[in-house]
Amino acid sequence: MGLREKALKKSLWVYHVGASPCNNCDIEILDCLTPRYDIERFGMVLVGSPRHADVLLVTGIVNRKCVLRVKTVYEQTPKPCVVVAVGSCPCSGVLFRDSYNMAGPLDRIIPVDIYIPGCPPKPEAIIAGIASLLEKMR
Amino acid sequence: MTVAEQLKEALGNRVMRLETPNPKRVYLTVSPEDLVEAVRFVWQVLDARYVIVSGVDTGSQIELLYHFSIDRKDTFVSLRVFLDRNRPEIVSLSSLIPATEWIEREIWELLGVTFTGHPNLTHLLLADDWPEGNYPLRKKTDGA
Amino acid sequence: MNLASALGWCVSAFVLAATAGLLASWLDRKITARLQWRVGPPWYQNFADLAKLAGKEVLVPEQSNRLTFLAAPVLSVTGMTACAGMLLLAAGRRLGFEGDIVLFVYLLALPPLAVALGGSSSANILASLGVSREVKLLLSYELPFLCAVIAACVKAGPTTSLARILLFQEMSRPLLFSLSGLLGFLICVVVLTAKLGYVPFDVAEAEGEIASGALIEYSGILLGLFKLGKAMLLAVGPAFIVVLFWGGFGSTLGGAIAGFLKCLVVVVLVVLIKNTNPRLRIDQALRLFWGIATVAGLASILLACAGW
Repeated sequence: MGLREKALKKSLWVYHVGASPCNNCDIEILDCLTPRYDIERFGMVLVGSPRHADVLLVTGIVNRKCVLRVKTVYEQTPKPCVVVAVGSCPCSGVLFRDSYNMAGPLDRIIPVDIYIPGCPPKPEAIIAGIASLLEKMR
Repeated sequence: MTVAEQLKEALGNRVMRLETPNPKRVYLTVSPEDLVEAVRFVWQVLDARYVIVSGVDTGSQIELLYHFSIDRKDTFVSLRVFLDRNRPEIVSLSSLIPATEWIEREIWELLGVTFTGHPNLTHLLLADDWPEGNYPLRKKTDGA
Repeated sequence: MNLASALGWCVSAFVLAATAGLLASWLDRKITARLQWRVGPPWYQNFADLAKLAGKEVLVPEQSNRLTFLAAPVLSVTGMTACAGMLLLAAGRRLGFEGDIVLFVYLLALPPLAVALGGSSSANILASLGVSREVKLLLSYELPFLCAVIAACVKAGPTTSLARILLFQEMSRPLLFSLSGLLGFLICVVVLTAKLGYVPFDVAEAEGEIASGALIEYSGILLGLFKLGKAMLLAVGPAFIVVLFWGGFGSTLGGAIAGFLKCLVVVVLVVLIKNTNPRLRIDQALRLFWGIATVAGLASILLACAGW
């Protein structure tokens, strides 16, 4: 594994994309940065611009208004980048799958690398998902 | 005087129906033409706080509820209007209460109620290219 | 000095400043984490960040001014390398190099200026918002910074040569132990926090608010160079303040180690200020710098003239 992959694994910069979520998953993602779970010790920081990001954490069913925006954000992220679907909504749509506003699940719109189901997934589950992502990148 | 009594005295025979299921709750049914008069009374004379407008498709009609709160008297007043399901139209309150502008846009795009006199009746929550005439919160009565 | 040795000097100044800067940045992140009862990243984190950024795609916006967009991060790093190299020369009193202080003031203004240049060439509304804030901040904190520097020059001479200031401090005592010097030192520490774009003055790069402000369109190695320039400022800035007010690094090994520890004290001060304050709005920051800080700066000049 080259220096590039090694460095990428040690320093993942995360950008959060909210594709019409209910915000519970967003709260759990923010929990991961708190002292109890502290993902900064793995080098992960939350960044403000998709152009600085390596990981796109996408929450929410993608509703029809968001489709174009999610695609644009994905294109704006410099490759190599990883897309993580956090929560059951972007994974499958759960109870919203027949809704009038549903345009997801997420893998119909952008390629997804890791699925973290849960409603919302606990921070432990999110960290386990990221760990399996690091395994997969090997 | 309680709020219900004040409403009966001021609006007289415009009151189609007045319900007080409990002392803190008043439901006043008026016709769509009398709505502005009733809102003006509740909002200005009774000095109520505008809360929100809610709407539902009852299957035969479209029912709109205008909610106001009179915090001093611990009373919540809701004005109910019934609109014809085939041509739901009502006057817009956005010139009187600017805060109603956005909720009227939302009710228009989800229930199909036309608010006459509204300055900007465009999509708020749904995508801009949503098909015309498709009102998601209308009940599907024909099994479609 | 021939070309080869000059090049060698540049490269070693760059490597020294970059390494010191990246480690100082790590110290900042570690102390911040510990103050928040967290663990914090390992010591090589900033090096890994830089290596990762070097391996990412570089996306240049179509409507941007290409030359400025690509040149701004390079400007930031070269300015800091030049500053580091000249600081080494002046502090080491080599080859009769006087170390004109005006040059240092100019070079230390380069990282924020480069960010402003880069942001303004990005063709992005949020970037231009960040740039306007950054430039306002720059205009405001340069004034008390100059006052503090002038106070040091007056007290130690009067002279505008860094080498002579060092000599003066060696002969008597460091400027920090005089009233005007103490004021000047405190002003310089606060201005350094603003130059670095740390809280309470990170309104230009406010993450949650305007999505990283001026650097919003930067990606890959260009972003890496900006981060490197900022890290180098965290190494060169405290070194400059220590040389100016605290007696520098001296000519013995003991002196050099003492100088290094003094730089650490300044870095820790900056980190503590960063962690105990909320973000100031741009008008509050302007009022601070053009108000209290400038008054303190003028007071320090007057005290220096009076001999205190």
